[in-house]
Amino acid sequence: MKMSRRARLGDLERAIMDRLWAIDPPTPEAAMSVREIHDSLSQERDIAYTTVMTVLDRLTKKGLVTRERDGRAWRYLPQSTSEELTAHLLRDSLDHIDTSDRRAAMLHFLDSASADEIDDLKAALAELESRQA
Amino acid sequence: MPLPMLSALLTVAGLLLLAVVLIWPVQRAMIRRHVFRREPLLALLVWQAVSLAAVVSLLAAGPVAVFLMRGLLDQPQHRVVAYIALAITAYMLVRLAVAGHRVGASLRRTRREHRALLELVGREFDALDQHRPQSLRVIDHPTPTAYCVPGVRNRVVISTGMLAKLGGPEVAAVLAHERSHVRARHDLLVEFFTVLHTAMPEPLRHDDVLAEVHLLAEVLADRAAARLVGPVPMGRALVALASSPHPTATLGAGGNGSASAAQVRLSLLTESGKRDWALAAAMSTYALVVLVLPVALIGIIGSR
Repeated sequence: MKMSRRARLGDLERAIMDRLWAIDPPTPEAAMSVREIHDSLSQERDIAYTTVMTVLDRLTKKGLVTRERDGRAWRYLPQSTSEELTAHLLRDSLDHIDTSDRRAAMLHFLDSASADEIDDLKAALAELESRQA
Repeated sequence: MPLPMLSALLTVAGLLLLAVVLIWPVQRAMIRRHVFRREPLLALLVWQAVSLAAVVSLLAAGPVAVFLMRGLLDQPQHRVVAYIALAITAYMLVRLAVAGHRVGASLRRTRREHRALLELVGREFDALDQHRPQSLRVIDHPTPTAYCVPGVRNRVVISTGMLAKLGGPEVAAVLAHERSHVRARHDLLVEFFTVLHTAMPEPLRHDDVLAEVHLLAEVLADRAAARLVGPVPMGRALVALASSPHPTATLGAGGNGSASAAQVRLSLLTESGKRDWALAAAMSTYALVVLVLPVALIGIIGSR
């Protein structure tokens, strides 16, 4: 299946981030050069060196990776771990629940529940279950 | 006072009054009419009809006044009335444009940024095949949560915490619920209403109305999911999520003694399947009458 340009780009960003997240431990000495990332990606896809460079540039601008000069080349590290980014994503989705203008930015399965109603909920569920049985 | 000016004045005053009545007493009374929730789709349309009628009433004031006093606008006292009426129309147009831009632009930007991040950390998931949305992404996080990012490039997101908390049928219910949102574009109904609602002057409108419309969209998705997987898994999923520690618990909507969204949705699941045709007919008639009101008012007062 042919991917759209945007999907291809997203897929590539993802593949590059996965490479960078795999650096263990992510110390400055372990930072990857464009060449190393390109070599790693080339094993599974046909991709130009300059494309990798462009995508890394975009990721830097987005603040997702950091880079440091090493002689004439840049060496890259992820700005945050995958876990940190996931936590940020989750917070972002929750942030938009109650700012009334943006209520509908994301639709949550259940966006609020309070601890003191659980017993009532369980009773209502028991009734639903007995009716359906 | 010449007759055209009197009828213009009365029509403009009538339109203003109609808008205020629709937004204030009518919508506040509708929030208390919980029976509407049994027909969630119609209820969403009724809400749109009421807000739309109010907006149309205010938009019509200027053009109608000018039309009724056509040929007399060379006299200053006629011009003053026309200017006032046109100012009301202009005010409403500006508010509508601002609301549309603020709601639309902020929604789309928020979703775009969120989706971009999701593409990096979300995993595609094949293990759930039944009712699995194409756009499903799983995020690796212990907090049980599920939501969708609506739009043309929509995404349904579920956390590993949620997958661990729920059994197979419940997960299917959650996914069917979210898929119903993105397929039927419930977000557009909510968004359109939000624009109409926030275009109304702040002292007039009541923001509980937004919560009600949001709830109706959830009820609609609950029903769609219950049709696919049955009401029991849907109810169990709701209770399981409600009883897990949730970062948004502090936002609880049930704080003021009214039933929470979870309680309302659970009680409505019990009745799903039975359609109330009399209620549906009454609600459709109500929506139509409300929409015709501004036109009828212009026709009756304006033609005297």
